[in-house]
Amino acid sequence: MSDKPIDRRAISRRDLLKTAGAAGAAALIPGAAGAKEAPASVADTAAVRAGPAAAAAAPAGPLMNLTAAETELLSAMVDRLIPSDDMGPGALEAGALRYIDRALSEAESDSVEAYRIGLAALDRYARYSRGAPFLELSDEDKDSVLIDVQLGGATGAGVGFVGSSGAFFNMVKSHTWQGVFGDPMYGGNIDFIGWDLIGYPGARMRVSEQDQRELEAGQLPPARRSAYDYGQFQLIRGEED
Amino acid sequence: MPRQLRSADVVVVGLGAAGGVSVQPLAEAGLDVVGLEAGTWLDRRDFAPDEIRNNYRDWPMLVKKTFNERMTSRATEEQSANRIGGHPMMNAVGGTTLHYWAQSWRLNPWDFRVVSETRRRYGAGRLPAGSTVEDWPFGYEELEPYYDRVEREIGVSGQAGNVRGDIDRRGNRFEGPRQRAYPMRPLRWTAYLERMADAARSLGWHAFPGPAAINSEAYQGRPGCGYHGFCSSGGCPLDAKNSPHLTTIPRALETGNLRVVPRAHVTTIEVDSSGRTTGVNYVTGNEEFFQPARVVLIAGYTYENVRLLLLSKSRAYPEGLANNHGQVGRHYLSHHQGAGVGALLPYDTGAWYGLPAQGVAVDDFADDNFDHSGLDFIGGGNLWAMSDRRPISAASMGTYGRGRNWGSAWKRFIRENVDRTHSFYIQKTTLPYEDNYLDLDPQYTDELGLPVIRITAQYKDNERAIAAYMQDRAEEWYRELGALEITRGGLGNTMGASTHAYGGTRMGDDPETNVVDRWGFAHEAPNLGVLGASVMGTSGARNPTLTVQALAWRTAQHLVDAWRDIAE
Amino acid sequence: MSAAASSRTQMSARSALCALAFTVCLPLAAEAQATFVVESPTMRAGEMMPRDYSPDGRNVSPPLAWRGLPDGTRQIAVICQDHGAGNPPPWVHWIIYNIPGSATGLPEGIPFDESRPMPPGLEGAVQGANGWGMPMYRGPAPPGTSLHHYHFAVFALDAELDLPPGLTRDELLEAIDGHVIGLGSMTPHYRRHPENQEIDP
Ligand SMILES: Cc1cc2nc3c(=O)[nH]c(=O)nc-3n(C[C@H](O)[C@H](O)[C@H](O)COP(=O)(O)OP(=O)(O)OC[C@H]3O[C@@H](n4cnc5c(N)ncnc54)[C@H](O)[C@@H]3O)c2cc1C
Repeated sequence: MSDKPIDRRAISRRDLLKTAGAAGAAALIPGAAGAKEAPASVADTAAVRAGPAAAAAAPAGPLMNLTAAETELLSAMVDRLIPSDDMGPGALEAGALRYIDRALSEAESDSVEAYRIGLAALDRYARYSRGAPFLELSDEDKDSVLIDVQLGGATGAGVGFVGSSGAFFNMVKSHTWQGVFGDPMYGGNIDFIGWDLIGYPGARMRVSEQDQRELEAGQLPPARRSAYDYGQFQLIRGEED
Repeated sequence: MPRQLRSADVVVVGLGAAGGVSVQPLAEAGLDVVGLEAGTWLDRRDFAPDEIRNNYRDWPMLVKKTFNERMTSRATEEQSANRIGGHPMMNAVGGTTLHYWAQSWRLNPWDFRVVSETRRRYGAGRLPAGSTVEDWPFGYEELEPYYDRVEREIGVSGQAGNVRGDIDRRGNRFEGPRQRAYPMRPLRWTAYLERMADAARSLGWHAFPGPAAINSEAYQGRPGCGYHGFCSSGGCPLDAKNSPHLTTIPRALETGNLRVVPRAHVTTIEVDSSGRTTGVNYVTGNEEFFQPARVVLIAGYTYENVRLLLLSKSRAYPEGLANNHGQVGRHYLSHHQGAGVGALLPYDTGAWYGLPAQGVAVDDFADDNFDHSGLDFIGGGNLWAMSDRRPISAASMGTYGRGRNWGSAWKRFIRENVDRTHSFYIQKTTLPYEDNYLDLDPQYTDELGLPVIRITAQYKDNERAIAAYMQDRAEEWYRELGALEITRGGLGNTMGASTHAYGGTRMGDDPETNVVDRWGFAHEAPNLGVLGASVMGTSGARNPTLTVQALAWRTAQHLVDAWRDIAE
Repeated sequence: MSAAASSRTQMSARSALCALAFTVCLPLAAEAQATFVVESPTMRAGEMMPRDYSPDGRNVSPPLAWRGLPDGTRQIAVICQDHGAGNPPPWVHWIIYNIPGSATGLPEGIPFDESRPMPPGLEGAVQGANGWGMPMYRGPAPPGTSLHHYHFAVFALDAELDLPPGLTRDELLEAIDGHVIGLGSMTPHYRRHPENQEIDP
């Protein structure tokens, strides 16, 4: 333990070099040579590179946590939660599945088992109560099944929900909402589908009085940016896409 | 054996709202100060406007100390206490002020004199049975200069309502007299907030903008607020939120008299045979250190202040440091943040870009600002209407019985109503009671094997009566605004863990009922100071932090002024 | 019916429901005291409800039929509740109102989806918030293998009230207070099948 005063800039520099690699970190430090682009100043709210939206429109690629059959079931459930309809695209188009899969690899890794058990119980409950696998039910019957799962009616059916079936439903719903309405950098909210659905005009760093008045008049154009399109948060810089 | 470090004049445990402010007057006076902070440095690049990171994955609580030592809670002694799931206080240089809401209120004069004022106006019989409330050892006037100093050093925006007795109708006419206006004008209002203020006025109430430790304009070389909407549980990417990590701590560092040691987790305080503190033990990684100091100031927030004392047992203090009168952990109270009121409105509120410190306050029903003669409680609440909304939580709103909260019909509902809900934050008086207290849990420990705090506390009739009364006022306000639906939360029972927790090391002249004296130093151990709301004996009807910071400055200034008496 | 006459025969919705609640433990007596008859083509008072009216089956609303409504019935409201559940009781499974006075019952499967139309003859009918806060029928799921009674209370009202959807039981009772000119009810019961408790491998 050093007894010298600790310089906070030195700390953050050191930490960054560790996490981001020397080249990457150099780009963060104002004035550092070799930065590909001038880092955005605090006041600068312009995106310095294309947002994640374009990248996100690409196919989801491999899912890391669920089997094909589980993925199919989860898709069918998520599709009923926020369907694609005359109001616009739904949770699947918004990339909710990719969000959930990534979350299960990281922050929500404790929940993988809950997904496995819950999805199996969902399908068993559909067979038990409606006489057919969940995937084969009509949309209306799927909804009816999901209501019973949400409200806990599926709990006492002996189909294998651990605790309340509502806990499983709420977990999937909460992750789906995060995937649809959260920042696109996490793999969901593709093309800002979620933010467009609720009319959220997007992540901004500064909102002037004029912007606020335009918002109130329904005239503020959506920003269509991820938080990480703003230069000061681009801490890990790999190759340009 | 812990490694012995070079001695310091003062060691401050925790560099949050309280500890982070105290270091400036100490270091500027030339004292050699070590700040031990369990958390780490964070800066504006850590604070992306990202709801998943801030509000769903609790990223700001990167250092998990608070989580690892989360307390247990029960309403009464007869019950067994359950461990809580998490707690949003932060471990970082700057503490919880990095991601707090930054409402920066002064207490009102009544809050310092609850006992004598209640006796005078309504008679002693009106003090609730079982309450251990006392008058503070001094009045509002004593703290005013420190409020004034901190408002300037930290930077607080707001509208004065009473400058040296001159009432300004744009501000809070009920506030105690201040020597001058705020250093910055208040944060702006939105069209909806203007509408709310108009509705309050048509009810005959006095609406005004609340004070915030957030720049409404450039201040001290940092920019004004960007109103970006991610302030609640999020740090500021513009450095417009005035945490000590941007203000008082850097100023103390500039003197060269402060050393900040991040990731230093203090476990116990050492004392000598005469009962004076000699320094603190801390852990960083796997290493143990002893930091000697002539004076120890603890500032780890209410629960940790109490825990550190109770964990520091010695010959001189067999029941915990400064606890020979059995007062450590007593007179615990916390704000009743439940019993909310929400509404569905027939129009959009334009709340996407706002912050919880931007809003309309009504103080007509706080403290003793109204006549309680015909009522069955004392104290009251501050009605706070803010402008704050983020997409995930907004899209998760209830449907007011109108249908499922998912599916095609819901998509239509949410598109129409997502910006049409509003809820009040109502800060209310809580009093201390003889059977509400903190102690060490007999069963649960943190990751170092040290017992966690057990909370035994319950809202009593007075708190519940205030809550119901304030819900009625909030409902009146929403009716005036044309609300379509109004919902009310339950009145509450178990007090539980709180971000506004008070008491446990109460300040007062009588050592029989108070742990620290009028300056914040322990009656039993005079070179031990306590910073934070744990010294406060009343809550008032407003958020604690500005008062905590004014008290911290005052305690630090007193230490400088009385250095010989205290340190030698 | 003259205004004076109607006010004489009106009873408070709350006291009427209390009276019904009281007779829940005596289902036969309840039927006998009702001012009109409520039956169902698929359910009988005092007997098990078919599984399709519960989450063990399709969980659709059961059909109801009523006879002998008082003269002057302009509208009908129905509440299905379990007096043995809820805190405080009852737990509400279903609320439907604004039912035209000309209706002679409800068919099976009233839509749970707000965007679907009501069946013919029930135009204008809307559903209130059940115990889960949902404007739809959700059938019995009593805990374990316990037996619970499900009280279908039918109110004959003397006015066309045009109430908004989503009312809770308390709100509905308040809204129809003073308009109730007749009552009917039936109380079947339900127990989840013991074999349902088994987890198939
Ligand atoms: C989301 C949120 C919003 C809030 N909004 C407001 C508001 O608008 N207005 C208001 O007035 N208040 C608000 N509060 C409350 C406010 O944060 C607290 O009143 C204030 O931070 C308390 O100051 P403190 O210094 O006692 O504790 P903190 O600010 O939490 O600082 C304590 C510091 O001590 C450190 N520490 C603890 N134990 C140890 C140890 N053993 N060793 C070393 N270091 C230690 C911690 O890591 C921490 O950094 C809010 C709180 C939260 C969580």
